[in-house]
Amino acid sequence: MQTEQREPILSIRNLNVWYGDNQILNSVSFEVQPRQVTALIGPANCGKSTLVRCFNRLNDFTPNFRFTGEILFKGSDMYANKTDVTALRKKIGMVFRKPEPFRCSIYENVAYGARISGINQSSQLETIVQKSLQKSGLWHEVEPILHGTPEQLSIGQQQLLCIARALAVEPEILILDEPCGELDPIETVKIETLVRDLINDCTLIFVTNKRRQAARVSDVAGLLYHGELIEFETTEKLFTNPQDTRTEQYVTGRLG
Amino acid sequence: MIRSELTKKIALQGVAVIIVGAALIFFWNDLKKTVMAHSQTSSASRIYSIMPSLLSDLNLILLISLLAVLFGVVCAFYLEEWLSATSWVRRFIESQVAFLIEIPSLLYGLLAVAVLFHYTGVFKGIGTPPPVQNGIESGLEVVVFQHNTAMFSAEVLIFILLVMPIALKTTQEALRSVATPIRESAYVLGANQWQVLAKQIVPLAFPRMLAGGCRALSRALAAAALLIGIYIPNHTTGTRGIPDRFMLFLVGALLLSTISSFLIEVYDPATARHD
Repeated sequence: MQTEQREPILSIRNLNVWYGDNQILNSVSFEVQPRQVTALIGPANCGKSTLVRCFNRLNDFTPNFRFTGEILFKGSDMYANKTDVTALRKKIGMVFRKPEPFRCSIYENVAYGARISGINQSSQLETIVQKSLQKSGLWHEVEPILHGTPEQLSIGQQQLLCIARALAVEPEILILDEPCGELDPIETVKIETLVRDLINDCTLIFVTNKRRQAARVSDVAGLLYHGELIEFETTEKLFTNPQDTRTEQYVTGRLG
Repeated sequence: MIRSELTKKIALQGVAVIIVGAALIFFWNDLKKTVMAHSQTSSASRIYSIMPSLLSDLNLILLISLLAVLFGVVCAFYLEEWLSATSWVRRFIESQVAFLIEIPSLLYGLLAVAVLFHYTGVFKGIGTPPPVQNGIESGLEVVVFQHNTAMFSAEVLIFILLVMPIALKTTQEALRSVATPIRESAYVLGANQWQVLAKQIVPLAFPRMLAGGCRALSRALAAAALLIGIYIPNHTTGTRGIPDRFMLFLVGALLLSTISSFLIEVYDPATARHD
C-alpha cells in the first residue's frame, strides 16, 4: 500500500442527503484517491447507493432529493450551476447491480457511449468496441456473436458487457454499485479479478455488502452504517485493526 | 416457442374480434331494413336535414381529434419527462385526466348529441304528423340546417375531451413502462435527455404509445358513429351515403381498438420479455 498523498480525485465534504423528510446520509466526508479501488461497505439500506448516486448526479432525477455539503471532482464543485452534467457523467461511469443491456446488438451496446459523443466512423467505433470488450475480458466470448442480441449472454457476461459499455467512454472514475449482487460465485471471481486489473485505467469505487469481497478487491474501504460513515481507512487497517467498535462488529460479522 | 405464443395470442384476440364483428353485421342488416322502411313511409315528412353539414363537420372534427391525440402525446412527454413528480401543474393535470378518463365514452357521445339537439332542435317534430306545406309538390319540406359555428365549437370541445385524456394517460403509462435502469444506464454514459428519449425510451414505449393513440381515435370514431346513427331514422334522402359513413366509422373504431390490443399483447417489449 502506497502512503504518498496525491491530489484526491473526489472529495466529499460534510454531505447530508434527504429524500423528503427522510435523512439518508448524515455528514459524510471522505476523499477518493486516484488509481485505487475504494470500497464502500455496509448493510442494506444504509445509504451506499444514495451516496454513489450523488457522484454522477443521478439523484437529480429523484423527486424530493435535497442535500447540503460539497462534492468536489478534481477540485471543482460538481453541483455548481455551471457544471455540464452530461460531460460529468461521461467522466464518472457507473455499473448497476442488475445488468441492463440496451435492446440492440452487443456491438451497438458498447458503441452507444461513443456514438452519443459524436463518433460515427465505423473504423473508429470498431476499435473502441474491441478495446473495451478486451479490457472487460469478454472479447473472445462475444467476438462471433458481436451483432447478436445481448439476451443470449449469461447474466455474468451481461454484467461484463455493461462494464465494457461503461469503459468505452473512458471514464476517470468507474462506480460499481454491487456489481456481483445477481451473479454466481464463478462470475463474481471474474468481476473481482477484472476490478483489480482496471485500476490501470481508472479510479474505482466499489459498493458491496459482502465484507470479504471488499477485503479482496479494495485498497481503501469505508463502512457506512445508518447513513453515517463510521470509519474510512485503508482496507488492511479497517479489517485487521478497526478503531470503532461497530466496525469491528461488522467486519467480524456480529453487526449488519 | 415465441412464434407459437404469438399465434396463440392472435387466435385468442381473433375470437373476440369475430364475435363483435358478427354482432355488428347482424345489427347492420337490421339497421338497413329500418332505414329502408322509414324512407318508404315518410314520403310526406318534414325533413330537417342537418346531415350535409354534420358530415362535413365530422370530417373536420375527426381531423381535430387526431391533432388532439398528438397534442396529448406531446403533453404527456412534457409532464413525464420535464416536470418533476411533485410539481403542482403535473399533479393538477393528472388528477383532471384521471377524472375525465373514467367517464364512459357513451356519455361524451350523448353530450355531443345533446349539443346537436340544443342548436338544431331537429327532433322537435318527431311523432307528430307534419303539416303539408303549400307549394311543395311531393308534400316534402326539407329544412336544411345551416352550419353553426357555436355548435361546431362545442362538438370539437367534446371530442377533444373525449380523446386527449386517453392519449395523455396511455402515453404517460408507456413512458413509465420503460424501466428506470434503462434510462439510468444511458444517462451514466453521458447521454442527454433528448438522446435518452430518442434512442432508449421512445423505441421501447412506441407500441404502447401507438396503442393508446389508436384507443383514443377509436373512441372518437365511435362517438362520430353515434352522432350519425341517431339521425338515421329521421333522415330519408340519400340513405346510401349516410349509413355507409356510419358503418365506416363503426368498423374503423372496431379496427383501431383491435390494433390497439394487438399492439399491447403482441408487440410490447415490456410484456413480451416475460415470456
